[in-house]
Amino acid sequence: MLIEQSAYTNRWRRVSPAAKGTFCLCGMIAAYAAAAPTTACGVAAVLCAVTVLGAGIPPMRYLRVAAPALLFLAVSALSLAVSLKIGATVGDLSLHLARTELERVAHVCSRSLGGLAALLFLALTTPLSDIISLLRRCKLPDTLLDLMTLCYRTLFVLSETVHETITAQSARMGHATITRSLRSMGGMVANLSVQVWQRSQALHLAALARNNDGALRFLEPDYPDSPRAISLAVISGLTLIILAVSLP
Amino acid sequence: MSDALLSFKDVSYRYPDGTTALNNCSLTIRRGTRTAVLGANGAGKTTMFLHLNGILRPTDGHVQWEGTPLDYNRRGMRDLRSRVGLVFQNPDSQLFSASVREDVSFGPMNLGLEKEIVRERVTEALLAVGMTESADKPVHNLSYGQKKRVCIAGVLAMQPEVLVLDEPMAGLDAAMQTELTVVLERLHASGMTIIIATHDLDFAYGWADEVIVLQSGELLAHGLPAEILQQEDVQDELGAAPLVAEITRTLSLIGIDLRDKGYLPRSKNELLKAITALSIQEKTS
Repeated sequence: MLIEQSAYTNRWRRVSPAAKGTFCLCGMIAAYAAAAPTTACGVAAVLCAVTVLGAGIPPMRYLRVAAPALLFLAVSALSLAVSLKIGATVGDLSLHLARTELERVAHVCSRSLGGLAALLFLALTTPLSDIISLLRRCKLPDTLLDLMTLCYRTLFVLSETVHETITAQSARMGHATITRSLRSMGGMVANLSVQVWQRSQALHLAALARNNDGALRFLEPDYPDSPRAISLAVISGLTLIILAVSLP
Repeated sequence: MSDALLSFKDVSYRYPDGTTALNNCSLTIRRGTRTAVLGANGAGKTTMFLHLNGILRPTDGHVQWEGTPLDYNRRGMRDLRSRVGLVFQNPDSQLFSASVREDVSFGPMNLGLEKEIVRERVTEALLAVGMTESADKPVHNLSYGQKKRVCIAGVLAMQPEVLVLDEPMAGLDAAMQTELTVVLERLHASGMTIIIATHDLDFAYGWADEVIVLQSGELLAHGLPAEILQQEDVQDELGAAPLVAEITRTLSLIGIDLRDKGYLPRSKNELLKAITALSIQEKTS
C-alpha cells in the first residue's frame, strides 16, 4: 500500500515510464558493474538520493518500504559470512568467520543494495499499470502481461473481500478464541475459493460483452515530452555506469 | 414495425443444469425508448440481458436485430456487441485494469480502432459520466458509485446504439442515484435506446417509456408503465405498486381525480406540482 501510495502521488508521476525504466536499468547495471563494494554502495546512495530528493518520497516511508528487503539481505549476508565448522570429535561445533568470505559478502551485499535502490526507484515513482504498459511496449508475452494486469486488479478485490469476511466473522464471535479463529479462517478460504471461481466466470462474461476475443488490449498512457525525459534518463544513467566502472 | 430494434421471438433458455430461465418470451424493444425490466430475483432479467448481447444463445426461438435473426459467428457477435453495450451489476466483476483510463479503453481497443480514435472516445465517455477528473486515479481508490460510472463509460466508449444496464441503482446512495439518472437522461436525449433492470418501482414508473415484467422466466406484461403497473397481477408479482400511482388512486377515491383535471403525475415532483396547482385553483374559485 505504501508503494502504491507513493507511485501515484510522487513528483515524477507524470514523467514517462520509459525514462524511469531506463534509469532504473542503468542503475542496476551500474551496481553490478561497480568494481569495489564502496562504489556499489555509492551507486545505491545516489539512486536513493534521486528517489527521495528528486521524486519527493518521504525518507521515513522509503525506509519502511526498504526495511523488509534490507532485513532479508542482512540475514543472507550473515549466513554467507558465517559458516559452521564440524570438528573431528562428536559435539565439536564452532562458528567460523572467514576473512576472504567477508570480502565476497561485501561485494554481493553492496550489489544487492544497488539493485534494490534501482528497483525501489522504479516502484516508488511509477504505478504498476504504467510499468505493465512499458513492458508491453518491450514486447513481453501477452499472456504474462494479462496475468499481471488481472492479478494487480484482483489483488485489491481479494483484499477487500478478505477484510469484509473477517469483519463479518468477528461480528459473530468468529475470532474469539484461537480454535474458532482457525475454524473461521478455514471457512473463509473455502468460501473464497468458490468466489474466485465465480468471479473469474463473471470477468469472462464481462470481457465477452466488451467484444474481447483473447488478449487484453488497453490504450497505452500518453506522456508529454517523453523524448526529453528519455534522453535525460539515458545521459544520467550512462554517467552513473561510467562512474561506477571507472572508479577504483 | 420500422422502429423495432431488438426482438425476442418465442425465446426459451434452459441452463445446462436444466433450470428454465426464460420460457417462450416474445417482445420488441423500439429504437430510442427507455425500457425498465422488472421482476423478482431469479425471474430471468439477467438471462434476458445476456441474450441481448449474444452471450447466451436461446435454446428455442430466436433474437432479432432490426428484424433479422442474430448471427452467432465471430463477425456477427462483433457487430452485435459493438451495438449493444451491457453493463453488469457488480463493478468489481467487470473492471479489468487498475487504471480508469485503461479500463475504459478496453472495449474500443477490442473493436480494433485506431489509437487516436480510442483516445478521443475514452475522453468523451469519461466526460459523459462525469469522471474526467478521476481518469488517472487507480480503480481501487474509487467509491462504489464511481466504479459503476467507470463501467458505464467503458461501454459508452464503444458507442453502442443500445445501453443495457443490470440494476444500475443497486448500492448507490440517493445523491448518486440522482446523478446517474441525469447521465441516463442525457444519453437518452442523444438518441440512445436504454434498457434497465431494476427493483425500484417508483424509478421505473417515473423514468420508463415502457416496462417489461418477468415472472419465473415468462413475460407477464409489457407496455406503458401507467397501465402495466396498475394491473393487479403485476402488483401481486412485484409485491407493491408505485407510490405516486397509489396516492393518485387514493386521491381519486376521496373525490380528487387528478386524471380528470388533466394531470398524470409519474414522479414525486410531478405529483406535488399537481396537488399544489389544484389547491391554488380551489382557492381562487
